[in-house]
Amino acid sequence: MRLQIADCRLRIAVALMFGVLAGCSSNSGDETVTIGFTGPLSGGAALYGRNVLDGLEMAVEDINAAGGIPVGGRHVKVAVVPLDDRYFPNESATNAKRLVHQNQAPVVFCPHSGGILAIQGFNASAPPFIVGAYSSEPQIVESGNPLTLMIPPKYIVYFDAFAQTTMDAHGKRLGRIPGAHAYAKEWTKGFSAVWESKGGTLLTNNEVDYNTTTDFSSVVSKALSEKPDVLFVGGASQATALVIKAAREQGFKGGFVVMDQAKFEEMNKLVPMAMLEHSVGVMPMVAHPDFRAAKFVEQYRQKKGPDRDPPREVSLTYGAMRVVARAMELAGTVTDARAIHARLDEAASTLPDEFKPSELLGVDAKGHMKQTVIAAHVVGGKFVPLHLAQID
Amino acid sequence: MELFAQQVLNGLVTGSVYSLVALGLTLIYGTMQVPNFAHGHLYMLGAYLSYTLVTTAGLHYWAAMAVAVVALAVVGAALERLIFRPLRHAPHLNSMIAALGVMLFLEAVAQIIWGEEFRHMDSPYAGVVSVAGLLVTEHRLILLGAAALLMVGLLLFLTRTLAGSAIRATAQNAEGALLVGIDTNRVAMTTFAISAALAAVAGSLVAPISLVYPSMGSLVTLKAFAIVVLGGMGSVPGALAGGYLLALAESLGGTYISATYQDLVAFVVLALVFTFKPSGLFKEAA
Repeated sequence: MRLQIADCRLRIAVALMFGVLAGCSSNSGDETVTIGFTGPLSGGAALYGRNVLDGLEMAVEDINAAGGIPVGGRHVKVAVVPLDDRYFPNESATNAKRLVHQNQAPVVFCPHSGGILAIQGFNASAPPFIVGAYSSEPQIVESGNPLTLMIPPKYIVYFDAFAQTTMDAHGKRLGRIPGAHAYAKEWTKGFSAVWESKGGTLLTNNEVDYNTTTDFSSVVSKALSEKPDVLFVGGASQATALVIKAAREQGFKGGFVVMDQAKFEEMNKLVPMAMLEHSVGVMPMVAHPDFRAAKFVEQYRQKKGPDRDPPREVSLTYGAMRVVARAMELAGTVTDARAIHARLDEAASTLPDEFKPSELLGVDAKGHMKQTVIAAHVVGGKFVPLHLAQID
Repeated sequence: MELFAQQVLNGLVTGSVYSLVALGLTLIYGTMQVPNFAHGHLYMLGAYLSYTLVTTAGLHYWAAMAVAVVALAVVGAALERLIFRPLRHAPHLNSMIAALGVMLFLEAVAQIIWGEEFRHMDSPYAGVVSVAGLLVTEHRLILLGAAALLMVGLLLFLTRTLAGSAIRATAQNAEGALLVGIDTNRVAMTTFAISAALAAVAGSLVAPISLVYPSMGSLVTLKAFAIVVLGGMGSVPGALAGGYLLALAESLGGTYISATYQDLVAFVVLALVFTFKPSGLFKEAA
């Protein structure tokens, strides 16, 4: 922690020095634009925050290695400044203000809906900046904020296919053991409504705090006592894996509907594929059928180690950062947030294949990145693709 | 009925872990009046050590646990000698702040060494057995047994040995203990070492059924404080019973009231005890 602060101070000192030098010698030296990040970098959600940041940093590294962003004949280098908000919306807002005022960041990324909504309270007023929103909560684009870029697909896109697939394969009784956080509550509500509309039966909602529970056995025992055909689970990947493990150990044979927050590739590190059999969830990058995905996995492993798999948030934020950089190039500015935001759609739809880990179709009028969404159904230890319809 | 039995079993497993952690906390509070906020973080450190020794050094689970226990005993003794002893005659607040500092320090150290990822290790006893119609993993049964053995051992140590009696004497009256010739410094150091070792056992036992990550200790500390308050600050039987009571309240409350309110149920029990027996369930009259 102290290292980071020292590092930060050093960076500020160096930046100041460069500022002075640049001031003396008119226009020599590197021009740099700061991309802000505020997310959980300590505490229980630190890994998630780290992954989102990894995606940004990977993209920035590649952009700088290619010389920077070409803007009006100059080449602007990119620097990511990350601040820890420990998942607290009020700290996200403070951090964003700091990044915008102190570092003149035209874009601030945030990986949780609470923080995003807090930042949306002031990002459109002076000085305006774009909030790079990594959250699949539909509310963040429904609020009509003019400077939002929502990166992942809305979670409602998964409901229909997840319900249909598992209901057809296992039966109509849905047991529920979702997390107790706000995001899981919304998911549970939406998915339960779809399940019921298809003629399914909803059993007790055994909501449980995924972050504070030491042993999931008791809540799993309770859910299984109602003899469900399908179990709905979801929170952080590792805790979700423990829920699945407990259910299998207590003899559950049916299917799992896994909320999009949990990732198969991360769960698979804790539990064998055999336990994940008959689950539906987000398609891992390593098994993604998109031709660009394999290349991205390779690139990630070169940077992070041969045994590492890029989680979905790394690939999506990588793509988003590339889109932002391209929009800056198209707008001919790295400072005017409104002009950059106006070119996001064009940037996303014309982004060259080598810059995106999977298909990007554009950015809609509300600021949502449009993409083809592919989910996974685990059958015979393999991830079978489920193609989903985009929902705007 | 089957569900009830299953939940009692689940509660006993969690209770074993809670009790071990609370025991360490209550021992330190009893002898030194230090609320050791870093106690859960010692538990975290124990879990990480076992995890690392099993997964990277290839040690057997029990061997890894033994090493972790010894290492944590050393860490505990060092904490007492280097941090809490110099503060013994300072205002009480200083030790509390020092404990908070140790907590933050340990978490940061873990984050630097192991990163923020969640770790999980497999138990060598992964099989599932059926006990009177209840399904339970072997590891959970072993956890139950090992924790119970350790608690009995600790009680015997405290009541039947000289060192144990010295700890109890210091807890009852530190000045009196000093007067009858007990080296209270040594007692304090021993207590810290035992307490950290207990945390290491709890952490190592829980690692195969739960997740290992830098902040895993915070919540356990909170629960352990609730238990210690429930059982009576400084009371050993109180910590033992309180741990099982809290875990059973959680698992049964979670089943028959609502899983959402599982944590709430535990604290309602705490509030009830406070209302009717403010000194805690087992606090001996001073």
